[in-house]
Amino acid sequence: MNFPTIFSITEDEIDLNDLLARITLTSTGAAAIFAGMVRGETTRGDAHETEYLEYEAYIPMAEAKMKQVAEEIRAKWSVIEGIAIVQRIGKLYPKRRRFSLPARPRIAIRGVFEAARYGIDRLKEIVPIWKKEVSPNGEFWVEGDYIPKAGE
Amino acid sequence: MNRVKLLFFATLRDRAGTKSMELDIPSELTVQGLKDKISDEYPNLKESMSSVLITINREYAFDEAVIPLNAELAMFPPVSGG
Repeated sequence: MNFPTIFSITEDEIDLNDLLARITLTSTGAAAIFAGMVRGETTRGDAHETEYLEYEAYIPMAEAKMKQVAEEIRAKWSVIEGIAIVQRIGKLYPKRRRFSLPARPRIAIRGVFEAARYGIDRLKEIVPIWKKEVSPNGEFWVEGDYIPKAGE
Repeated sequence: MNRVKLLFFATLRDRAGTKSMELDIPSELTVQGLKDKISDEYPNLKESMSSVLITINREYAFDEAVIPLNAELAMFPPVSGG
């Protein structure tokens, strides 16, 4: 059976209720949602203010890799039904939602949190999206540290 | 020769000063060969070549991979989405 799967890169505000409705089946019993926010101030480590984050993506590859992440989730957690992975790009200011990943299980809740966690972790490893942090003191690209392996 | 499209993202785009370029490369050139060629011809990018990620037709590619005809290549730093 084909479960609903959504992957997209968008410049528009993310509507979680709309995404949930689009991946919900009559057999669906729960959802886990991860939503990333833009922080206006960082207190951990080198404390600083952020004016905005600017995201860019290699859009066609990013959408293909999001599809791959969804397939990996389904291979690991067979209870998962619908999956939506959405990344907002462009200039994002504090208090705006930037990312969401609802994953919904059939009947049991088992696995849904782990699946959502796996999704965000993999997104940060293999989906080609970058963010530039712009603060009153200047701007810099945030770079990850994961080097994809062959076949990823 | 092989005409390919090379896309740059994030820090690589800033250093290259462009989002993309068309490039003529020798046939059978490997990813490592491409890195060497870019280092020689674009000094601004030389420093980035040790940690850059490279894709061929939207899949991650490694040093020994041979670049196919008319490929879409991209160079970028490790990703930081989410």
